[in-house]
Amino acid sequence: MNLIGARRFIAAFVRSRTPVLAALGICACTYIEATDCGSGVGLQDRIAQFKQLDGKAEAAMGRHQPEEAVAAYKQAVCLFPNSARAYYGLGMAEAAARHFVDARDALRTADRLQPTTAMPLVMQVRVNYSLGDLESLKSNLRELASRFPKDTDAHTVLARFLAEHNLFVLALAEALRSGSSADDWNAKIQLSVLENTVGAYADAIRNALAVERNYALPEAVRGTAAGIVGLSYESLRQGDQARKYLSEAIQLDPSQENSYLALADLFEQEQNYSDAVTVLEQGRRHLPDSNALLLALGTNMVRTENYEQGVKILRQVLQTAPDTSEAYISIADAGRKAANPAEEIEALRELERQHSDYPMIHVLLARAMSNQRPAEYTKILEELALAATAAPNDPEVYLLQGKAYVALGRYEQAASVLERSIGLRPTEPSAYYQLARVYQRLGKTDLARQQFERVKYLEQNAAK
Amino acid sequence: MKSYELQNQSYALRMIDGSVTPPDLLFVRDHFNEPEISLDAWSLQVDGQVQRPYEIGFSDLVEMPSIKVEAFLECAGNAANGSAVSNGSWEGVALSSLLEAAAPVADAASVQLEGADSGRLYPDHPLLPYSQIVPIEKCRDRASLVAYKYNDLTLPPRNGFPARAVFPGLYGMNSVKWLRRLTVLGANEQGTTFERSGMNRLYNRVRHAEGPKQITRVSSVQVKSVLAWPMDGLKLPAGRYSIWGFAWSGGGAIRKLSISINGGKQWSPARLQSQPSPHAWVQWRYEWNAVPGDYAVMSCAEDIRGTAQPLTRDPARKDGYELNWCAPVHCSVR
Repeated sequence: MNLIGARRFIAAFVRSRTPVLAALGICACTYIEATDCGSGVGLQDRIAQFKQLDGKAEAAMGRHQPEEAVAAYKQAVCLFPNSARAYYGLGMAEAAARHFVDARDALRTADRLQPTTAMPLVMQVRVNYSLGDLESLKSNLRELASRFPKDTDAHTVLARFLAEHNLFVLALAEALRSGSSADDWNAKIQLSVLENTVGAYADAIRNALAVERNYALPEAVRGTAAGIVGLSYESLRQGDQARKYLSEAIQLDPSQENSYLALADLFEQEQNYSDAVTVLEQGRRHLPDSNALLLALGTNMVRTENYEQGVKILRQVLQTAPDTSEAYISIADAGRKAANPAEEIEALRELERQHSDYPMIHVLLARAMSNQRPAEYTKILEELALAATAAPNDPEVYLLQGKAYVALGRYEQAASVLERSIGLRPTEPSAYYQLARVYQRLGKTDLARQQFERVKYLEQNAAK
Repeated sequence: MKSYELQNQSYALRMIDGSVTPPDLLFVRDHFNEPEISLDAWSLQVDGQVQRPYEIGFSDLVEMPSIKVEAFLECAGNAANGSAVSNGSWEGVALSSLLEAAAPVADAASVQLEGADSGRLYPDHPLLPYSQIVPIEKCRDRASLVAYKYNDLTLPPRNGFPARAVFPGLYGMNSVKWLRRLTVLGANEQGTTFERSGMNRLYNRVRHAEGPKQITRVSSVQVKSVLAWPMDGLKLPAGRYSIWGFAWSGGGAIRKLSISINGGKQWSPARLQSQPSPHAWVQWRYEWNAVPGDYAVMSCAEDIRGTAQPLTRDPARKDGYELNWCAPVHCSVR
């Protein structure tokens, strides 16, 4: 729990109990005489002291000094040991100071003293989350459901908190509790997002459609709902419906980046890259600075063989986000497809500078270098030596080394690395084929024939 | 209620990376069409021979104390070397907790589990929900669950979302999907959904040697192992290979796995890849230096009770269940 969160909840509590003296008045009716502080002082004086401590604690919390707030609230608790307000404040301060066990104790006491408000239980959920105590957290949720079944605000707040912390099933449980007693669109949207997240797609569609079909609502809200409907249909593999609602989401709220991306993703899955480009270009007109849209647009332009424009857009992404690996890979892809190995190598070198541990970067570079004419096999072998150091059990590295040695006429070395590649991956026909050619050149015709037979043998498996 | 067509799907075990089946490779064996369930409307009813029948909704269920169990599920009709078996981490509420909340009567003997899927098993039978009956002792087992998560995600719709039973060690048909009702039954209670639907005619072990047929209910999973690699009919160049697969038993952890490459004439020990556990399968591996020849590769598991897979199918068996003999996989090396 962060301090901002704590302060928000304090504010909520204070709002619900204002004026503070009213809360104190409740306590004063039944207060228990403290034995080690405030004894011999009149009630009015102690109320004044309490107010002073309360103000001091809140000020300390405002200054992000929770330890000071803890000290002040402890004195307040001592003055009025039956004050829920003091224990609640203490719990909040202890939580802000990351003393979660103490925070939980204080909040439990606050709940016992003031069982008519949900806030101490709501805060216990947060504290138990911080403690990693999910069973106690669930116990708090059960108690909330039992004692405050109609407290929509509490269940909505908890649903959001739990979703933010990836506890989606519990978040959905709370959203269902709040959703069942409230018909506001915000709760319905939240519920449908969670339903989509956990796989309850039919429910997500039903709840989101209820919002989407409410024409009195702002178009942006209906657009969000249409987007959820579209995503849920996509998960149900109902492409036509998914496209319909994602298109509608874009129409209703053209400022929603996710709608364009989701619709483009649908087209990509169908390998319909030109429609993906159309959608993403539409998105770019509304959201020209969205890197996510530009990255997807550039990548799909490369796929549609519009290399120049695609690379230009991907370079635009890299200007503001130079660590975007996918952009380098797509530019390299463009270079390879456009028979421009220099561009391919340059993009991969840039990627290597940004992410030296990018998976298979040296293999990618070696492959790109092999496409250059004339290919510099000595440099390719240097790159592959780095690849072998990074991944000593990768058969592809030794296969590429074998090809490079063949090109250099170093057949004995080629045979050695190709045999190593086969040892690591005995079912790859191309390694046997390369080895067969090497043996031919070494004049070992029997061995060459044996390798060619293994290629044919393996191809019989593939033909099955 | 809308429903999707019934499915029967399993996936080659060699697609599993590690020892946990990912959700999209969980095997599916439906009896009726998959129901479409609304979470708002879904509830689990607990009734029958109990003092306090009740219904519990999704929110209340998932907020109850939960446990996680790594367990395999195997279809009772899974072929020898078949792939209708999956293994993963199930999370949910102990079935015993749900039953105890209803206070079963003292002579409660079993529990009938009903799913939200329904249909007719036979043309002359009424349209009824899918159901199974499980002894109450097994329901009270600490590992028996009403599960709502698999591998930390909600159950896939086709695998029982929002909640299903999971009985580690029992064949899969007992782990009723799309669970909606638990009915506690007294001893010899008649007229159940299970009987009226004709479900009692399925999943029976039929043994017929001499004399009358013996018919008994299939229940606990028999010790079994399968080869994930190599596959039958594979042609390989000579070289070093890893033969690997999985082994499991409803009778407890696997303690030994042997491999034969010559159709059972000689056996060698394989390496178990993880610490065997009582409810989960174990991945095993055997390093094979393959020289040219024709091979019949077999695996044979033995569980902690010393029960080993049979080398052949009992010829007296006249049913299609518990197919756990050591079936050979043929491959050739050149």
